Amino acid sequence: MVAFTEEMVDVGGTKVHTLKGGSGEPLLLLHGANGNSGWAKFVDALAEKYTVYYPSHPGYGKSERPDWLETIPDMACFYTWYLETLGLEGIRVIGFSMGGWIASEIAAMCNHSFSKLMLVDAVGIKPNDSEIADLFIISPAQVLDLVYHDPSQVPDYEMLYPAEPTPEQVMQAESNREMAVRLCWKPYMYDPRLPSLLQRVKIPTRMVWGKNDKIVPLECGELYKKAINGSDLVVIDNCGHSPQVEKPDEFMKAALDFLA
Amino acid sequence: MSLDVFYFTEMPYHHIDDELAEQWPSLRLTFPNSYFDPNKATDLFKRYLDEFQYAEEAGFQGLMINEHHNTPSCMDVEVNITGGILARLTSKAKILMLGNMLPTSDNPPRLAEEIAMLDVISGGRIISGFVRGIGVESWANNTNPVYNRERFEECHDLIIKTWTTPGPFRWEGKHYNYRAVNPWMVPVQKPHPPAWVPGTGSPETVEWAVKHRYTYAAFLTELSRAKQLFGSYREQAAAAGWEAGPDKFAFMICAHVNETDEKAQESGKAFMWRMGHPLKGPREYWAPPGYFSQAGVAANAARRQKPMNEMTYEELQEHNHLVVGSPETVIKKLRHIKDELGIGSLLLETQGGPLSHEDTMRSIKLMGEEVIPALQD
Repeated sequence: MVAFTEEMVDVGGTKVHTLKGGSGEPLLLLHGANGNSGWAKFVDALAEKYTVYYPSHPGYGKSERPDWLETIPDMACFYTWYLETLGLEGIRVIGFSMGGWIASEIAAMCNHSFSKLMLVDAVGIKPNDSEIADLFIISPAQVLDLVYHDPSQVPDYEMLYPAEPTPEQVMQAESNREMAVRLCWKPYMYDPRLPSLLQRVKIPTRMVWGKNDKIVPLECGELYKKAINGSDLVVIDNCGHSPQVEKPDEFMKAALDFLA
Repeated sequence: MSLDVFYFTEMPYHHIDDELAEQWPSLRLTFPNSYFDPNKATDLFKRYLDEFQYAEEAGFQGLMINEHHNTPSCMDVEVNITGGILARLTSKAKILMLGNMLPTSDNPPRLAEEIAMLDVISGGRIISGFVRGIGVESWANNTNPVYNRERFEECHDLIIKTWTTPGPFRWEGKHYNYRAVNPWMVPVQKPHPPAWVPGTGSPETVEWAVKHRYTYAAFLTELSRAKQLFGSYREQAAAAGWEAGPDKFAFMICAHVNETDEKAQESGKAFMWRMGHPLKGPREYWAPPGYFSQAGVAANAARRQKPMNEMTYEELQEHNHLVVGSPETVIKKLRHIKDELGIGSLLLETQGGPLSHEDTMRSIKLMGEEVIPALQD
């Protein structure tokens, strides 16, 4: 396993819990609505090639939330400040689900933040012919039922989802969920401006999607492709919302080919 | 010590039988409205409004109304509409609106002028209840539950300012912004109609009620829990240098009277509909993420040992969620509640579920003739 550190990055007085490890050029990972996975296998694999920065978003995990930060565009604005604080510019980024939405907003508002943009089963654009599953109105167990196409093919499933999580884990999950509600309640999981704003994005962009995503339909990936000139869409068969966990080999290939 | 007794019904659309109700996760939010028959509802509204009118004649000091959305359990979708009807149909009863849902409102000055208009039409009989709305209302109205309490408080502050500060004035808040707050309509009662707030246990609500010296109404809580909440109110008031009298405390309970205990126990079973299906639903319906603070979650856990919809008819009576009996029996039980809690108002849900017009009218009559007078000393 690649060695990593934990640090609290001070962004204008707000402390952002950041996992950092690996070597090579910097790569920013932005997690989804559920929260930071910790130094998971896919993070470790990416850190073999890149110096990974994996923050918990403000309001998630151990990261603080400034009072003014209440929307995804606020979050994007905050992250341009975070990158500036770390002296990072023109770096690679992978945004997962809601993190993909954040990455897209950053790319649309600031053309020098990223050099390559990769979105994995990202929310942010309203589908026309389908719907993004409402994760707030169902129980955490029901949400989990939607995440994977086939849980039996997920490596280490029992370890990732213990039958009896600790009270601290339960409370952290509730708190992360509350933050997601704060950010994404209405309109639910999209920004109506985003498809128009994405015309500004000129950097290489790749979408990676689980073909059988029951949370963010593949249609959203197609809409991203349409909105971002020159982008491509890699669809992974027999795979749900989290290809990095459910189909790690295919995911890594799609990621490393693109990021290289 | 006198006691104001209020007549209350949620005006249920009770034509939903057990078999149908059980096919759905809840009678709230997502229960299909294709089961609604407007013609049946017309008949029910006529009946319920007649019963409100009769409650005033029979001797209830007040009439209480509430509102809910997306549910057959409560056909009142706007307290200010029913408040308007009662303001004109009645002449002396207090009209307790418990109440207007503040967080779901996008227009507090509009609410302020509507309530003021009711106060004017009724000649100063309005009690203005302010409510957060139960969790499921955040879904039905699609307002972010994370901001529920913030919006409640700001909406309240703006309404009170609208009633008490000569306009025009400007309001630049977090959730509400106005260039010229200056409604023509202001209330009769000065400085403003009495304000009440209901609670089921959140410590923040008690604290907030004390801060504003509002009447706190405990809703379907265990007697012991209500006692704790009222005790906490009294202590906080004393710490702030004032004494909270009975007028600051109200208790809501379902109540049914018939000529004899035996008959009452039989007809009172109608309340089981009200205590059953409408209280069933997934946790996320009642507690959307962010709606409850950590303290509120803890308070909920302590609220009652068993959910009401899992209690038997007998258990509901034992736990004082439902009082059923002859006038003599009901007097005894309500007196006990009055004395235990030191309340100034008792809110009696006298019509519930499919309780028939005939049984409701008899219950109202017996309450007016025997129960209410016996609770006054």
